[in-house]
Amino acid sequence: MAPLVELVGVGKGYGSATAVHPLSLRIGEGEFVSILGPSGCGKTTLLRMIGGFVTPDEGSILIDGRDVTRKPPEKRATNMVFQGYGLFPHMTVAQNVAYGLRIARVARTERARRVAEALDLIRLADLGDRAVSALSGGQRQRVALARALVMRPRVLLLDEPLSALDLKLRLAMQEEFRRIHAQVGGTFIFVTHDQAEAMSLASRICVMEAGRIVQDGTPEDIYRRPASRFVAGFIGEANLFEGVGSDERVRLSCGTVIPGAGAEGPIVCVVRPEAVTLAADPAALPDQCDARLFATVEDVVFLGPEVRTTLRTDSGAQALALSRTAGPLRPGDRVTMGWATADQQVIAA
Amino acid sequence: MRQALRTASFQLLPGLAILAGLFLLPLSYFFVVSFWQVRTFRLRPDATLEQYARVFTEYGSTLAWTLAIATLIATVTAAIAFAYAHYCRFRAGRFGDGLIFLSLVTLFGGYLAKIYMWKTILGGTGALNSALMALGLTSGPIPALLFSPFAVIVTLTHYCLPLAILPVYGALRGLDDTAIEAARDLGASGPRIFRDLILAQARGGLTAAFALTLVITAADYVTPLMVGGPSSNMIGLFIQSQFGNRLNSPLGSAMAFVTIACCGLIVLTLSLTLRALTRPRT
Ligand SMILES: Nc1ncnc2c1ncn2[C@@H]1O[C@H](COP(=O)(O)OP(=O)(O)OP(=O)(O)O)[C@@H](O)[C@H]1O
Ligand SMILES: [Mg+2]
Repeated sequence: MAPLVELVGVGKGYGSATAVHPLSLRIGEGEFVSILGPSGCGKTTLLRMIGGFVTPDEGSILIDGRDVTRKPPEKRATNMVFQGYGLFPHMTVAQNVAYGLRIARVARTERARRVAEALDLIRLADLGDRAVSALSGGQRQRVALARALVMRPRVLLLDEPLSALDLKLRLAMQEEFRRIHAQVGGTFIFVTHDQAEAMSLASRICVMEAGRIVQDGTPEDIYRRPASRFVAGFIGEANLFEGVGSDERVRLSCGTVIPGAGAEGPIVCVVRPEAVTLAADPAALPDQCDARLFATVEDVVFLGPEVRTTLRTDSGAQALALSRTAGPLRPGDRVTMGWATADQQVIAA
Repeated sequence: MRQALRTASFQLLPGLAILAGLFLLPLSYFFVVSFWQVRTFRLRPDATLEQYARVFTEYGSTLAWTLAIATLIATVTAAIAFAYAHYCRFRAGRFGDGLIFLSLVTLFGGYLAKIYMWKTILGGTGALNSALMALGLTSGPIPALLFSPFAVIVTLTHYCLPLAILPVYGALRGLDDTAIEAARDLGASGPRIFRDLILAQARGGLTAAFALTLVITAADYVTPLMVGGPSSNMIGLFIQSQFGNRLNSPLGSAMAFVTIACCGLIVLTLSLTLRALTRPRT
């Protein structure tokens, strides 16, 4: 099936600095894709190129098989929800939402019906006549969403739409986004720097680093099989043990040799903290923990559902373990960290 | 609720006191005087509309001429001010604020300096005429450049421009760039964005610029005296002379209030037109 959005070698620089290195990307109909990366990595630039606000220096952008690289935003089948919302402050909620339909000369009755439908979808049906200046942050956010959704775009672009909201509201809105995507269908491209948000919303994540897409996969893929040290560190928490790989084995810098298929030469062994089991007596570790490492406990924090133990390995590296129970461990204790090599990911450093 | 109302009115007091002391009291004095009479060089309290009747019978055409020329100047000035402020806000990038400041600096020259400047430029041996003759475009100086309504319009427009730019620029600066991008994203063309977003939100600033220029111009009597010809007598000259050598402050007051009222009506008309033009709809 032909992709709905296709970028071919699209790149953009500002002066001598490159914001987005030439990259290619195919996004299918109905996908919910998240573009995830730290501040300044080029996410907004990439999204704005798809929306038509930034013209790429090179490459081409196709939407529905048609080349739109030089088309302005008003001529594209995309709509955008901006980071600062960009609501029209002199209009009411309903006037904001109706604006695009008026421009498109949608007939009055049809327009009223679609505006009502959109307000219903974002659960602001009663606030149509409210001035947007009299709305809360979360409500404004939803109006911005409705204003774009009412256009029934083939592709909805969202630039960190939740970043101005507090945590509780953000979580509630994430749920709303999932519901709305399921309800209206369509393709959503969602930019965020918050990995938890990307994981909870999207069915596919493109991780960006310094203007490049460094990994593209499902949330689970990216979490379990990070392609680089950067991705491993950016998505969730990870223990990163440096070492050298050869012949299906890995010699970590503390001297320990553990089983580990993967690269030859310098490597990083990525182990998620929840995969780590701690025991004062190595014999007490379960059998499937075929990789082991000595460490000293530095701190134990009880967080309710889990216990966070920070450790320092004998080679001086920081390590972290998450477990259900605290056990009898205290700071200063010597322990053995154990994990199953099936849970580790060895990456060329 | 009542408590809140009481606190609010209390907080308004200082502002109201200044308003009353500096503006309302003097104005109401002249408003009262405008119903009085002058008999044998003495001011006599009365309640007559005679002065108002005289304004329309004796000075009707001067008033109409003044309002016409003032409306023309205010329209031209507001339009140029809007164009300049629009350029500074949307095209000049980071130089915008600097350009606005530059336009304000010209105010330091003062009012009379501007008048003399235009006298030198527009006069018979002035820069413009000399240039036109040197280029062979005219054989002799064009007398109509100076001492004409044209000279009054040019001088007052030039004087009022910086004052008019300020409120417009203030309004345009408040515009949200993201909202403009959002409108484009929703399919709006340039002219549509201009009307629905830029004009709709800068309406107040534009009206203020127009109103400011209108009242300054309609009340001015120095510029017509200095650069206007005999045909460009404006109402300000006559108001000034009623208070001055004619010793008829009731008539002068009545003329002033009729002028103010007419200006108010003109501004109201503009304001309502702009509002109707840019009214948001669902
Ligand atoms: N108009 C511009 N002029 C010059 N440089 C720019 C411009 N816009 C972006 N950049 C630069 O391009 C790079 C990428 O910017 P971009 O806005 O795409 O980052 P981002 O990933 O969206 O960051 P954030 O998470 O902070 O929004 C940055 O280094 C930025 O400084
Ligand atoms: Mg951004």
